[in-house]
Amino acid sequence: MSDHVTADPILDVRDLVVEFPRGRDAITPVRGVSFTLDRRQRLGIVGESGSGKSLTALSLMRLLTPPGRIAGGQVLLGGQDLTQLSEREMARVRGGRLALVYQDPMSSLNPVHTIGRQIVEAIRTHEDVSRRVARARAIDLLGEVGLPAPARRFDSYPHQFSGGMRQRVMIAMAIAAGPDVLIADEPTTALDVTTQARIIELLSRLVDEHDMGVILITHDLGLAATFCDDLQVMYAGRIVERSRAEPLFERPVHPYTEALLGAICRLDFDVTQPIAAIPGQPPLPQQLPPGCPFHPRCPHAVARCSTEEPVSHALPDGRTAECHLAETRAEVTV
Amino acid sequence: MSAIAAPLGRIVQRRRRGTVFVRLLRRPPAAIAFAVVVLLVIGTVGAPLVAPYPQSQFDFTHLYAGPTLAHPFGTDELGRDMLTRVMYGGRTSLEIAALAMLIAMGVGCAWGFVAAFRRGWVDEILMRIADLTLGIPAILMGLVLVAAFGSSTASLVLILGILFTPATARLARSALLSELQTDYYLAAISVGAPPWQIVVRELLPNTLPVLIARASLVAADAIFVEASLSFVGLGVQPPAASWGTLLQHGYTALYRSYWYPIFPGIVILVAVLSLNLLGDNLQRVLDPSRR
Amino acid sequence: MRRYVVRRLLTSVGLLVLSSILIFCLLRVIPGDPTITKLGGSIEGVDPRALQAIRHDLGLDRSLPDQYIRWVGGIVRGDFGQSYYSQFPVTTLITQRIAATIELAVFAIVLGLLIAVPTATISAIWRNRWFDAVVSGFTAVGMATPAFVTGILLIVVFAVKLGWLPSQGYVSITQHPFESLKSALLPATTLAIAIAAPILRVLRASLADVASAPYIRTAAGKGLLRRAVVVRHVLPNAAIPALTMVGVIVGSLLGGTVIVEYVFARPGLGTLMVDSVFKRDYAVLQALVLLAAAVFILSSLVVDLLYGVLDPRLRVRGQESS
Repeated sequence: MSDHVTADPILDVRDLVVEFPRGRDAITPVRGVSFTLDRRQRLGIVGESGSGKSLTALSLMRLLTPPGRIAGGQVLLGGQDLTQLSEREMARVRGGRLALVYQDPMSSLNPVHTIGRQIVEAIRTHEDVSRRVARARAIDLLGEVGLPAPARRFDSYPHQFSGGMRQRVMIAMAIAAGPDVLIADEPTTALDVTTQARIIELLSRLVDEHDMGVILITHDLGLAATFCDDLQVMYAGRIVERSRAEPLFERPVHPYTEALLGAICRLDFDVTQPIAAIPGQPPLPQQLPPGCPFHPRCPHAVARCSTEEPVSHALPDGRTAECHLAETRAEVTV
Repeated sequence: MSAIAAPLGRIVQRRRRGTVFVRLLRRPPAAIAFAVVVLLVIGTVGAPLVAPYPQSQFDFTHLYAGPTLAHPFGTDELGRDMLTRVMYGGRTSLEIAALAMLIAMGVGCAWGFVAAFRRGWVDEILMRIADLTLGIPAILMGLVLVAAFGSSTASLVLILGILFTPATARLARSALLSELQTDYYLAAISVGAPPWQIVVRELLPNTLPVLIARASLVAADAIFVEASLSFVGLGVQPPAASWGTLLQHGYTALYRSYWYPIFPGIVILVAVLSLNLLGDNLQRVLDPSRR
Repeated sequence: MRRYVVRRLLTSVGLLVLSSILIFCLLRVIPGDPTITKLGGSIEGVDPRALQAIRHDLGLDRSLPDQYIRWVGGIVRGDFGQSYYSQFPVTTLITQRIAATIELAVFAIVLGLLIAVPTATISAIWRNRWFDAVVSGFTAVGMATPAFVTGILLIVVFAVKLGWLPSQGYVSITQHPFESLKSALLPATTLAIAIAAPILRVLRASLADVASAPYIRTAAGKGLLRRAVVVRHVLPNAAIPALTMVGVIVGSLLGGTVIVEYVFARPGLGTLMVDSVFKRDYAVLQALVLLAAAVFILSSLVVDLLYGVLDPRLRVRGQESS
């Protein structure tokens, strides 16, 4: 946890909508997402698979595979709306000002190039430096992310590294051109727990040293708890709750968040009791229930929930929640 | 035993073959290709009925003519109508190709099925033999076989059949193998039904669509190779005519009338292309994982 | 790695031997009799002793295994035997004509790759529906058109109508490079089209496959433009699986060469082969087919070794670490 500078946000996402046209209709997996990010802020976006969090990340980078496209909203990076840029201009932003670390380190590196070459490419795409200078910088970066004997490893190929090492390389590559914002999409899902801890530690250090804002996307609440200052919970393409991390865990407002936290198993639980899983399945983007998308699975649903979609309710301490019962629930759970 | 056979009918899955055909025709390239193939078959097999002129009608006033209304494909060195000659020649070409295809499919399937069903060293040997022959390009193999068997129409059918048997055997083998590994087959076996019966009654019919797709491609290749062999004079022998021999005549008369070889050439192209498209689209309709 | 190379070499040699046996037997199992050809077509009214003499000359009165061993023994020494029809040794016939075929083949492969690779790459970068449709059309038609049809069409346009290029003949590249290229241009183009079409098909499929890989997204995420992503990342990775097919296609070049040499009257191994079939000259035939099999085996060997070079994952397996 750190105190981030709450000045002008470096990233300002307003009402982002992503759709996939299919024939005459479209599926809308991201239905109006808004948030801001400051330098040195660690923002977490949590949710189950299918909530739209990865798509949000991809759309910030404008890396959606066609026919997916950004259908509405703005993505303001340092005041500039990324959705309005040409492909060429966007290419300059990618890696240079906004970078993404992907989920699967095993297949996210080009198998036929050395890792050194791939990092140098990341540097030289955005800066006009000689190969020698870039190589030196790359070796420094490899050392910074904790790779032993970086000079020697420069000429190694991805398949010669383990998953944890590869993820470090990916991170080095992502920060190589000095971006202002780093998005980490499930960076540790494919790794074992000890490696996971080390990678998160690395990210934490880099955020401070390089003055970046970080968005950590994960389905692992425990991970989010250790790393993030602020959290956003996504469900069915919308952010249903926003809060600083601690209050979210102690007093969740949105029923979905509460259910998620309830489903976490702890070592001191009674093994004979069933796990409090959330009944049902998250809805598919093309089959959203009317009203609040969570209402079929919500233990607190009332009649209104099945007809009217909730709006974002502002709550004390800068929290928000999209629930008809937000205020009452915020008061009750004290 | 028969008490088991009846419920088997319900356990065992039978793909509905009718819908494959319908789905195929929904794709524009496949529909056009199919129409063209039908047209070709009618035009060639039905040549005696459909051809505009009798086969040996000469017209010495119009030798080596280019395309005109009276002779859309021009005329040859004896003034015979090229369109008619192409139609009759097609009869020979398609006949040979069809028979060769049947031989290749018949022998190839038997070969492949036996290998798939028996497995073990029988499988190994049969497939090694198939693999050896796949290394040599078809035309070269064809030439060698012509040297061995001579070049009458009958031997040509045999040669082309032999040529395409190994590849078909491989396909038949893998088709049956994948059927043998399906759950419904294993379920049927575990219930106690005799394997042989199931294979013949249920599995083989399920391999049919893939094999039919293959048959189309084999027919296309057969036309291709036959035309090539006939073109160099080692295929169909005079007085019989095929598209390949027409092209050969056209080639020798190239400087006299370049129209002569163009039309038979285009017809060969269209025939092979249509059969290729048909086979390709059939394969794609049957296997959604392929692009 | 070295063990792999040695093993592949041995397998290749083994395949070659097996092929030679297959070819040898195939030509002996047949109903025809080369002595007949030698005598000009029929054996009626011929003195049986003359027949015997000819058979003895050609070595046909020995047992099959004996004939085979003599044949193989000769090959190892560079002697492919004696032609049944002409008075020249087979080796002479081959060496006389091999230059024309090699020139044509090399020219055709270069042209074919020059057509296929850039087109596939542009197709992947541009992603334009019309261009892709045209390319698909070209691929389909190219694969369906027999080489002699393409050849004749090219002759009609460039030799008959325009008169720019010769439709026949051969000039060795050592004699007169420019004329040599002129005489080889049409036949090489014909062959090039025949191999560019299947290579294009395989390459496009491979490019499309690789383009959806995660590391391509990483490359785009670094800020590379599409052109750079395709050329530097997609293409090298797509070339590897496409290589096998390219090897097969190049191997099958030999079949097309036969036809093309015939169409353009080039005195190469292809026309020699056709002649030998006509004359039932088995000595020449078996040598040529063995050569073809050797070329095919060699090209698949080269492809396999190339894999080892191009794909770092297949190289030295020593430096695994964590």
